[in-house]
Amino acid sequence: MTFPEIAWVQLTPVIIMLGAAAIGVLVEAFAPRTSRRPIQMFLTFAALIAAFVMVVINAGTFEVIMDGAMAVDGPALFLQGSILLIGMVAALLISERTIDPSGDAFAARASAMPGSLDERQFTARGYFQTEVWPLFMFSVGGMLVFVAANDLLVMFVALEIMSLPLYLLAGMARRRRLLSQEAALKYFVLGAFSSAFFLFGTALLYGYSGTVSFTGIQAHITAQPQMLGLLLAGIAFLVVGLLFKVSAVPFHAWAPDVYQGSPTPITAFMAAAVKVAAFGAMLRVMYVALGGAVWDWRPVFWVIAALTFFVGSIIALAQTDIKRMLAYSSIAHAGFLLLGVASVSREALAATMFYLVTYGLATVGAFGLISLVRNESGEATSLDAWRGIGKKSPAVAGAFSLFLLSFAGIPLTAGFVGKFSIFASAAAAGSVWLVFLAVLASAIAAFFYVRVIVVMYFSEPTEKTADVVMPSWATTGAIVVGVAVTIALGVFPQPVLDLAMSANIFVH
Amino acid sequence: MDPVAYVILATILFCIGAVGVLVRRNAIVVFMSVEMMLNACNLTFVAFAQMHGNLDGQMIAFFVMIVAAAEVVVGLAIIMTIFRTRRSASIDEPSLLRN
Amino acid sequence: MNVYIPILTMAGLGGLFALFSISIAPITGPKRYNRAKVDAYECGIDPTPQPIGGGRFPVKYYLTAMMFIIFDIEIVFLYPWAVYFDTLALFGFLAVLLFIVNLTIPYVYEWRRGGLDWD
Repeated sequence: MTFPEIAWVQLTPVIIMLGAAAIGVLVEAFAPRTSRRPIQMFLTFAALIAAFVMVVINAGTFEVIMDGAMAVDGPALFLQGSILLIGMVAALLISERTIDPSGDAFAARASAMPGSLDERQFTARGYFQTEVWPLFMFSVGGMLVFVAANDLLVMFVALEIMSLPLYLLAGMARRRRLLSQEAALKYFVLGAFSSAFFLFGTALLYGYSGTVSFTGIQAHITAQPQMLGLLLAGIAFLVVGLLFKVSAVPFHAWAPDVYQGSPTPITAFMAAAVKVAAFGAMLRVMYVALGGAVWDWRPVFWVIAALTFFVGSIIALAQTDIKRMLAYSSIAHAGFLLLGVASVSREALAATMFYLVTYGLATVGAFGLISLVRNESGEATSLDAWRGIGKKSPAVAGAFSLFLLSFAGIPLTAGFVGKFSIFASAAAAGSVWLVFLAVLASAIAAFFYVRVIVVMYFSEPTEKTADVVMPSWATTGAIVVGVAVTIALGVFPQPVLDLAMSANIFVH
Repeated sequence: MDPVAYVILATILFCIGAVGVLVRRNAIVVFMSVEMMLNACNLTFVAFAQMHGNLDGQMIAFFVMIVAAAEVVVGLAIIMTIFRTRRSASIDEPSLLRN
Repeated sequence: MNVYIPILTMAGLGGLFALFSISIAPITGPKRYNRAKVDAYECGIDPTPQPIGGGRFPVKYYLTAMMFIIFDIEIVFLYPWAVYFDTLALFGFLAVLLFIVNLTIPYVYEWRRGGLDWD
């Protein structure tokens, strides 16, 4: 009997991340309460940095490892690197403890009932829920596997490792805990629902081809075109599962509620990193496993992409809550990214990956800023509370405006470069009409981004206007990274575009 | 062996589960429906494994069971927290999420 | 057939005993009703809607249930490994060892954080 060879070197980023998470659980078990938080923070940042270094060292690898279960190639490494970068910035937000007078963004004890005596005692004693850190590391580890998975089973398991910790993290907010718990329940139910769809699609594709490996499915599609019903049904279920995760219309209903209810650092991480991971996985499935059936699934993707960017942009117009508005904006962005997926070309792959990085880092920065605008009951996310904030704190309003302009795709920001390259590759792939519609949707989207900027700068502060809190270096760092990336990649995007272009081939 | 009957049964189970998730309001029942969808997937995997004559499908069914168990643990934890909250603490913040 | 006779006899006796107990209990037993008897039965704890105003709620049963799920499930991987222990050789042994170590970590966590304390 032959045993699979374990590719230790190529797996190091994953091993480091999940190993550190397991050590984190042991720290929770054995370390005294006061020293848990510093140990966990050290562990998390050390693991993120070490994993990132290993991704950089592995750069240029182009092979299938673990008997075909995982692929280490350009897109996998590029996306793993992006996820780790976004993870570092999001971890900075998670570690913030000065902007809320009673502690960090998480409940002192997630198990204590909201409003109970226990909760008040735990808060008064200054407890921290340090389980946040291992959960966060498990989630990042799952994402690293998700974008490199080369068969549907590994992909399913990675999807769950990524999602399960996030369901829990979503319910841990310190303020507005009922809202947060409801968000966790909603996220869990719809997440489990969508992974069941993904799994049923996997089962049907297994029935079609007799294997779950991407290469095997692809070979089967090219070799024998019979049993098409099974193939098409399998693709449909699989895609529904993935579209849920990226919150594409009509599977988007959970996103605004979950984004609004979750603790803001977790919202930032979810909005950015989950999108990167889910699109990375979707690109690999669609290009590698189902590339042979592209004429069957592409029209569906066109329709869903168009629906997604229009519905996202139009409903965002009616929002009066900043967090919900950013949720709908992220739905609209998912539509533009789907355009990239549906284009099926190397240019489109590179453009999509570039878009994901810039969008992710800007999103984390934007949510970092949202956590600074507060009143006595916590974050003030209604648009009224942001009225005239430009007069109170020019720095916060300026940075937020920059992110909004980048989301809108105004030239000289990274968002413009990302959108332009996706539209260009989609046009080259022949869907000019769709690009026209996408530009139209961007114009609608620009309207509500600009409306927020107008509210911040061109109206006088009222008594409802919230205060801006001075953060510690952690949140400041996260925001500065977002601002720097948005400007740098807007003015001088070539190095990262080149990097994405050099990493745009999937290993088969 | 002809797997058609099994696959049809699995599809029916999957649909019952999916409808259950969509129409029921009780969190526990919704949760059971999700588990039923996963079990329908398992039945499909095992039936197809028999048809193809390889063991992949049966092996995958093991992994699905594990994942389902992990999901049960996380789901139970979330549902328990909410249940305790709703039964006891006053709803001091009525501004719950829309829908 | 002979070998099954003791088993069948045993099953028959068991059934008879059950029938006997059920039918004799309402006849001979005392009939005293109180609140505890009409309450819903919930693993022996007081039924749920009790901690009004933020009292403590014994979550032990749910912790135990969750723990049972995790440790019950590990057998799914251990059983095939045990059956093919010879074929899987050292590779299989090391893999399962790693698996068990990983299972021990949450166990240690739950034990240290008081998940196993009964009261």
